[in-house]
Amino acid sequence: MIECPSCGRKHRPGTLFCSECGVYLPTGGPLRTEPLPEEELPISRANPWASEPIGAAGEPALIPLRIKVVSTSREIQLPTTSEVHIGRTDAAHGIFPDIDLSPDGGLDGGVSRHHCKIHQRGSAYMVEDVGSANGTFLNGQRLTPYLPHVIKDKDKLQLGRVALEIIIHAQE
Amino acid sequence: MSVPIDAEKDYYSVLGISPSATEEEIKHAYRGLARRYHPDSRTEKAPTTIFHGIQQAYAILSDKEQRRAYDRQRAEAGFGQDSALSWTIQLSQTQLSSQHEEQVVYLLIEIQPAAALGSQRLPLNLCLVIDRSTSMQGRRLEHVKQAAHQIIDELHDEDSLAVVTFSDQAEVVLPSSIRVNPIHAKSKVSSIIASGGTEILQGLQAGLQEIEKRHGQPVVNHVILLTDGQTYGDEPDCLAEARHAGARHIGISAMGIGEDWNDTLLDEIAQQSGGVSAYIASPGQVRSILQKRVRGLESVFAQGLTLELRQVEGVKVESVYRATPHLERIQLTNGQIPLGSLQADTVTKIAVELTVQQKAPGDHRLLQLELTGDIVAWKHQRERLRQNVGCTFVAGEPPPQPVPAAVLSILSKVTIFRMQERAWHSLDSGDLKTATRQLERVATRLFDLGEVQLARAAMLEAGRLSQGGAPTAKGRKELKYGTRSLTIASGRETYD
Repeated sequence: MIECPSCGRKHRPGTLFCSECGVYLPTGGPLRTEPLPEEELPISRANPWASEPIGAAGEPALIPLRIKVVSTSREIQLPTTSEVHIGRTDAAHGIFPDIDLSPDGGLDGGVSRHHCKIHQRGSAYMVEDVGSANGTFLNGQRLTPYLPHVIKDKDKLQLGRVALEIIIHAQE
Repeated sequence: MSVPIDAEKDYYSVLGISPSATEEEIKHAYRGLARRYHPDSRTEKAPTTIFHGIQQAYAILSDKEQRRAYDRQRAEAGFGQDSALSWTIQLSQTQLSSQHEEQVVYLLIEIQPAAALGSQRLPLNLCLVIDRSTSMQGRRLEHVKQAAHQIIDELHDEDSLAVVTFSDQAEVVLPSSIRVNPIHAKSKVSSIIASGGTEILQGLQAGLQEIEKRHGQPVVNHVILLTDGQTYGDEPDCLAEARHAGARHIGISAMGIGEDWNDTLLDEIAQQSGGVSAYIASPGQVRSILQKRVRGLESVFAQGLTLELRQVEGVKVESVYRATPHLERIQLTNGQIPLGSLQADTVTKIAVELTVQQKAPGDHRLLQLELTGDIVAWKHQRERLRQNVGCTFVAGEPPPQPVPAAVLSILSKVTIFRMQERAWHSLDSGDLKTATRQLERVATRLFDLGEVQLARAAMLEAGRLSQGGAPTAKGRKELKYGTRSLTIASGRETYD
């Protein structure tokens, strides 16, 4: 019997895809983002309509946004492009996100190659899950894919299991 | 000397050689087999009948006179000549370990016309069966009428067309005829008014009667059924009609408009008759979907295509999926798979899942495949292809072999389609939690494939379920008909 590396279901030898979760059994994990066990991820979902109004009047010009990876304390300055993609580099398939979380345990942490993106709208920063396998969590709440949410200073962002902190204030 | 010919005892396949084998090749093959299967052989404990078979085959084929006579008989039985059909058969593995008690092997069969044959357009014998129940009123019926007008405009002189409407009963609006007068036909179609219920059986029977008027001629017989509602109580009779039609090479394409029709019934009608079913989400799509269907009929190359799977002991067919024109599960009846008609411009793909019991090291046959179909361009001459599918069992672990990409590509999509089927099954049996999880997994796989829109539909349905809501009929149909079209969708490759 062979065991599915993702959901643990047993299959007869020769089986190519797990009937339960669709994982390609012969390679199982590498490169591919596999669903994490549900109990390891927060359950509650963010209400997409609860976000604060976008671009409150009178805001000063945008302050640069930085992201801190909690586990490795790595700080990443967001590039100044209008849209910043966060994910995992996969050279073989030509996937090069603006921010690559591979060095921060992205694969084991369930970060998808295309995981989420951060963009500016008015004077606010928004985060949007782009259909990641294991979800993007904002302060412990799962975001509905493709619905942008406003992010603020000190917000906790979690991609799969990898925790990030948002820093929006001028650097000394 | 007269020898009964069947594929089991075909002397060429007994010796494992091609019908064009040279004398040298025949001798060589015989020596190898004789050494292995000789009753005194130490390597193989096989019944002596196998050895006798080999001896007999060699006796005939090594003698020039007898071989020629045998070739003649073989050709008469439908073997050996250049076929109008061609196929390729690929296994997920050709070497298996004989250590496993039971293992899984996949088979991909791709069927297409032999390259040598040009395509030829056959006259169509077409009947439109249009639902005119009250719910069709307005945009739906208007778009159906426009689509019918377009079909009329594109008919060739030798094509015949009939138009039947049904509500509580059927009515022949335009009796079947060739050289359709477009002005007359279009005005007849325009006069259709919506009112009443939906009795599919009535419409189907009237439509099939129109088709029968020209049945037996070298034409492509086809009924296109358009409906937007449920029929009540006559489902078994509809299926019986579909089966009967299929046996007479009359295909029925069943098209559902909107969300309220019975997808199980329409899919089944199409499958039983060798037609296709389609989900028309909005009335605006009627025209293009119908036009595509009629164009497909114009390129029909073979009709009444049937694939037969003959299993050997210790091999079981677990499931059969047809991958084109769309994904569907096929129920085997007596090992036979009705495939309907074959279009010159498409490849018919069938994926078979086998479980194979433990076997001793050596070559073993897994299946015998036989494909039959009437070749339209050859005045409906029946064509036949046969092939044995086997693999080699080895004592230890076989060397790693890459699974053919074509097999993987189809199976990955069949897997998603099945996952989606299972999710609806869980939902129907009241297990909301499992259904939600399964739908989320479907979404994950769809994202992997780059099918973002479908994946989002799956996420939305999962979201509704997780919040205790019911799935929508629209979402359900969208997912079902979306995932089953994965095999034909242009594969925009993105990676998760």
